Amino acid sequence: MELDLHCQFILEEYLELLPTFNKLKDVVLSSLRNACKSNGLEVTTIEGRIKTEKSLSGKLALKGSKYADLSDITDIFGARIVTYYTDDVDRVAAIIEQTFDIDWDNSVDKRRLHQLDSFGYNSLHYICRMPTKLYSDPDCPRLNTIPFELQIRTTLQHAWAAINHDIGYKTGVEIPSRYLRQMNRLAGMLELADDEFSRIRTEINDYRRRVQQLVQSGKLEDILLDGDTFNSYLQTKPLDMLNKQIAAINQAEIQEVPLNNYLSVFKFFGCKTLRDVNDLITSNSEDAYRLARHQLGSTDIDILSSSIGLQDICIVFILRHGGGKLGLKLLFDELNGESSQNQILADMTFEQASILPFMQK
Amino acid sequence: MKTEITTESNQMVAKFTGRLDTAAAITTAEDIKPLLNAANTEIVLDCSDLEYISSSGLRIFLTIRKEAAAKGSKVIVKNINADIRQVFVMTGFISLFEIV
Repeated sequence: MELDLHCQFILEEYLELLPTFNKLKDVVLSSLRNACKSNGLEVTTIEGRIKTEKSLSGKLALKGSKYADLSDITDIFGARIVTYYTDDVDRVAAIIEQTFDIDWDNSVDKRRLHQLDSFGYNSLHYICRMPTKLYSDPDCPRLNTIPFELQIRTTLQHAWAAINHDIGYKTGVEIPSRYLRQMNRLAGMLELADDEFSRIRTEINDYRRRVQQLVQSGKLEDILLDGDTFNSYLQTKPLDMLNKQIAAINQAEIQEVPLNNYLSVFKFFGCKTLRDVNDLITSNSEDAYRLARHQLGSTDIDILSSSIGLQDICIVFILRHGGGKLGLKLLFDELNGESSQNQILADMTFEQASILPFMQK
Repeated sequence: MKTEITTESNQMVAKFTGRLDTAAAITTAEDIKPLLNAANTEIVLDCSDLEYISSSGLRIFLTIRKEAAAKGSKVIVKNINADIRQVFVMTGFISLFEIV
């Protein structure tokens, strides 16, 4: 495709500035990643691309006369931020507005362009420049004057846009209006799905906050036992005192480990609420300490895992309720995976515990 | 106390022989260093001939586990005898490792 002199001049400028565009891309992407991270915002993707010489030539051939010079083409370097949730699009927008200089005249919020009765490509585009306060290089002064484009979309919008692009442009054939309508119906459905995901996230967060408040206030009987509520309960460190008592036997250090795997054990024990869990812990802690003292007192072991208190509570509960060696084996199978060795372990633990007072009752 | 490390396809095996007590732990900590650099691999701690493990030995196992987790590797403890298994239970370490 033959370009006129004006377009050739723009293309030469582009080739000359390619190293600057590459530098700009690195700085923008790392600034975006750092800004999202420091704001505690998780996104699906942050990616960027620089328009190829071929792609720019095509653009110039089509509408080169529209551009006075290279700086009129605002998407030579473009980056895209894809969020999980529709609410996060506005959070990313706020971050971008605080991080880069925005060319407001050329930035577009396509979400607002849609009529009440239309759906389609909903994304937010900013035309930006790199502010010198964020990055400047005396050897590369153009870096702060080059415009670049940032797009923000949700994952579902991104999927729709990618498929729409594939269908619409790949074939090179004009798409009949009935298919366009079907694509737009899908865009409407995905918009609903985006709103639903955001609503569900908000409700889950509200639920977690309510559970945490109930746990903090001690109203455990109102809280059904599940993964979330059990985690909130563990955050109140209900086993700290017992673990410290056990560690004091040999002046041991305690290695923190997750205790979430005990949820299934408590459910197996028939616990329905956090009150049931708390009562089980409270009523068996003393004997769990005795068991630990009996096992550890005659050794010089001075390193323990933070699961020790809970593990011994479960052992005591099983033995007190007549679960015997089989009950202990099932506990070890649940916690450590099924193994024939767990039977040996259950036998040894049973023998050790058999002389303790709670086994005599 | 002897530690032998062999590398097989996508697996490193450390075979411990003897008593891993406080005195032996200093040498063993040096011997297991290749395991700490292993990334995205399976690390097998073969304890068939390990007679005893002290707190210092447990610390070495814990160091291997921490480094492995950070480097995307997995640690399997194999063939521990009944006494050592009992130590793993008494300390709560049993739930830290995959024991086969």
